[in-house]
Amino acid sequence: MSMPQTGKKLEVDSSLKPAYVGVNMPKNDVNAAQDGHGAAIQGSFPVSLCTYVERNLSRCKDDAQRSATQSIMKEIITKATADGTLHTKNWDIEPLLALPENAKGTFMTSNAKDSSPFSFSTSRRSPSRRTKSRWEPVAEEKVTNNMEVVSKEPAKSNACTTWENTRRTGNTWNLGNFVQSRQAPPSQWNQRPSKKQRIGGNTNLTKNGNASSDSDKEQDLTKYYASSIALTNSPEEKKRREHRSKRFERSQGASSKSMSSIPHKNGAANVYTRGAISMLNNRSNGDGASLAVEDIDWDALTIKGTCQEIEKRYLRLTSAPDPATVRPEDVLEKALHMVETSEKNYLYKCDQLKSIRQDLTVQRIQNELTVKVYETHARFALQAGDLSEYNQCQSQLTRLYGEGIAGCHLEFSAYNLLCVMLHSNNKRDLLSSMASLSKEARLDETVKHALAVHSAVSSGNYVMFFKLYKKAPGLNSCLMDLYVERMRFEAIKCMSKSYRPTVPVRYVTRVLGFTRVDVLCEANVADGLEECEEWLKAHGAVLTVDENSGELQIDTKVSSASLYMPEPDNAVSHGDASLAVDDFLARAS
Amino acid sequence: TPTPSAASGTPTPPSRRLLGSAFLQEFRNWETPWAMEAMHMVALEIRLLAEKADRELVMSGKNPDKLQAAGSFLMKVFGALAVKGPKRVGALYVTCQLFKIYFRLGTVNLCRSVIRSIETARNFDFEDFPVKDKVTYMYYTGRLEVFNENFLVADQKLTYALMHCNPQSESNLRKILKFLIPVKLSIGVLPRRTLLEKYNLLEYADIVTSLRRGDLRLLKQALDRHEDQLLKCGVYLVLEKLELQVYRRLVKKIHIIQREKEPSKAHQIKLEVLVKTLQWLGITMDVDEVECIMACLIYKNLIKGYFAHKSKVLVLSKQDPFPKLNGKPV
Repeated sequence: MSMPQTGKKLEVDSSLKPAYVGVNMPKNDVNAAQDGHGAAIQGSFPVSLCTYVERNLSRCKDDAQRSATQSIMKEIITKATADGTLHTKNWDIEPLLALPENAKGTFMTSNAKDSSPFSFSTSRRSPSRRTKSRWEPVAEEKVTNNMEVVSKEPAKSNACTTWENTRRTGNTWNLGNFVQSRQAPPSQWNQRPSKKQRIGGNTNLTKNGNASSDSDKEQDLTKYYASSIALTNSPEEKKRREHRSKRFERSQGASSKSMSSIPHKNGAANVYTRGAISMLNNRSNGDGASLAVEDIDWDALTIKGTCQEIEKRYLRLTSAPDPATVRPEDVLEKALHMVETSEKNYLYKCDQLKSIRQDLTVQRIQNELTVKVYETHARFALQAGDLSEYNQCQSQLTRLYGEGIAGCHLEFSAYNLLCVMLHSNNKRDLLSSMASLSKEARLDETVKHALAVHSAVSSGNYVMFFKLYKKAPGLNSCLMDLYVERMRFEAIKCMSKSYRPTVPVRYVTRVLGFTRVDVLCEANVADGLEECEEWLKAHGAVLTVDENSGELQIDTKVSSASLYMPEPDNAVSHGDASLAVDDFLARAS
Repeated sequence: TPTPSAASGTPTPPSRRLLGSAFLQEFRNWETPWAMEAMHMVALEIRLLAEKADRELVMSGKNPDKLQAAGSFLMKVFGALAVKGPKRVGALYVTCQLFKIYFRLGTVNLCRSVIRSIETARNFDFEDFPVKDKVTYMYYTGRLEVFNENFLVADQKLTYALMHCNPQSESNLRKILKFLIPVKLSIGVLPRRTLLEKYNLLEYADIVTSLRRGDLRLLKQALDRHEDQLLKCGVYLVLEKLELQVYRRLVKKIHIIQREKEPSKAHQIKLEVLVKTLQWLGITMDVDEVECIMACLIYKNLIKGYFAHKSKVLVLSKQDPFPKLNGKPV
């Protein structure tokens, strides 16, 4: 945390140039100038200065320019105060600042010595961190992470050195310099200047040996943050941002510096980054108090969608989303309804639902609509046999139910139970799922059915299993589907060992669930018989015909040696059947 | 050990951990393990304190992460001890502390890495460790085997723990028995009632009785009554599987009765007799199901014989139709 060595120049490569560094004004100076958009300036300034400021700001077309202008003006004002020209200068005729063309710029810090530097909020994971679902956009995650970008690194600052050097070079304000430096590559937000701010303040920031790794991590995080907020310059969005940033003006103690320096390479990101940063900066009223993660107004920083399209394909996000493509909640409700009533196949529905999920996540909407969406998707997935999508939805649902949001939690706890017992060999998970069932849950029909299935599987009772299979409530049968093959094979092995001399195929057809419906409809039975016979043959059973009745039988003694489990016929060359689109289409339509 | 009572539990663990870290740093440097006891004390206190802190965190609605942090710290301690030289005898103690943490947190899969280090690394000779640590270690690893349903191994480990456990320490014995009994039941060994009474493990009493009598209804009732408890300590699934053994006992009883009435036909048991017996026990199962259970019993070698589907008769082998489980799990 030592002061930067004098004479060390700021490297002018793109990753280091400070684009914006928050300004700490000495108390006796203007602090209101930090507020955005020409808010009232405190009494010590001449009216002409106020109007000068306002004129400059009103020329700004967007947030970036505005914040650029603001900072420059702060400098000017500081300078003027230091010079003593604050009141003497005729601000009315002072030339207006040249607007930066593409909202790029470097800003210098003023390091007024008596300003109290900020202290960073403790680096804790944001409480709103959630388990990442596979398609969750990078933006969301990183935004969350970066809000507590806490630089605990020691302050070293090259930028400040440069600035100081510049200051030393001349008393006169060199606007030209400024304009030029402002043209520097966009958002070369450098962390270092911010670090310098903290010299006066926190002394116990470094932990042994952790400092540098923290700072590296933070640089990466902030890089991500900046790049992911590469956004939207749609006019509505800007207006919204403006409005939101005004909200901060009244609130207390932001860690103004935590966002002030972000190294960034991507030009476009600058705009939004600045917007966000100016918002955060605006929260500080100079006392440097840090802002806890919980106090940061996430809502204001969350995107509010504007898109009105009901139908929207799913596209994995690679950067922060454009609100113009994100649908607001009411549109999403309509979209969900559309999907529910749609006649199209599973692939279409899955796609639409993923897109709805994405829009919900990006806007951090976590309510009953979210639950409904996940439930709907989970049900479709189950019916289509898409276990991976189902699992994603199930984990989200478990989390949402856990937060108290209403939904069909009993139904889904039954599905969860079935999934754990049939698809994983993890007894611990099963135990804990069973243990966590509430009294209410144990009385629910779907749950009771799931527990009965467990009992049947545990004792190998295939008759019971297929009985339950036939009268499964909800979508339990879909989950059981995935175990049916295994159960049948176990049953056949069992029967081959224990029955002598034979067992009729008709019987096997009945108890192993080959007849779809328990009706004595001859056609159904015949279908079932055929299917069963095929299945038996495919698994190596040896069939004979009974001399007296002409009925087909399994010769159990012989079969017991020849049974085998065939290769699954949906095996694909790359091993992942669920990736076989044709197979999917066949199943889904 | 006086646990530091914290007026507000939460601030202490971090400071404790700092103390622990500092101590660990120094400990690494010392040649001889003279400070082993102190190290153990630190480990123990960290765990207890973390547990307490987590309780308080949960009560105040926050996320209880202290125990997890304690776990990572103890892993570091373990690392310091898993070196050549006299320090390694202390490693098992720390391992056991880690087990306690992981079991409490439910993250038992993390135990695997520690176990691997202890059991396969050349640094450790199991016999070198102090007995009390070995007992604890066997107890926990035995429990893990119960979860994985490796009953034979579980039996070995838990029996070892039982044998070497301090006979004065009743509560420890009880803990071991709590898991050993279900394992033994699975391999066909029944405890005496006096044992259950002595160690206050009467939740198993009815289960044992049902096994002796072949009383399926009693088994189901017993499982129901103690469901929560049994689920919680993780033996529920094991006990559920005893169902087949109960059926077997029932069939055997029928066989015995038939043998008395009509010895020549005793080895044939009609399906309808079985169905009626079960009905009498209050269990309604249709013919198909009973047939299925019989098939399962044969399949799993609990009964020797076969089932004649056409005549619906269970035909028992004339010799030894009910083979002893002989230590082999079902």
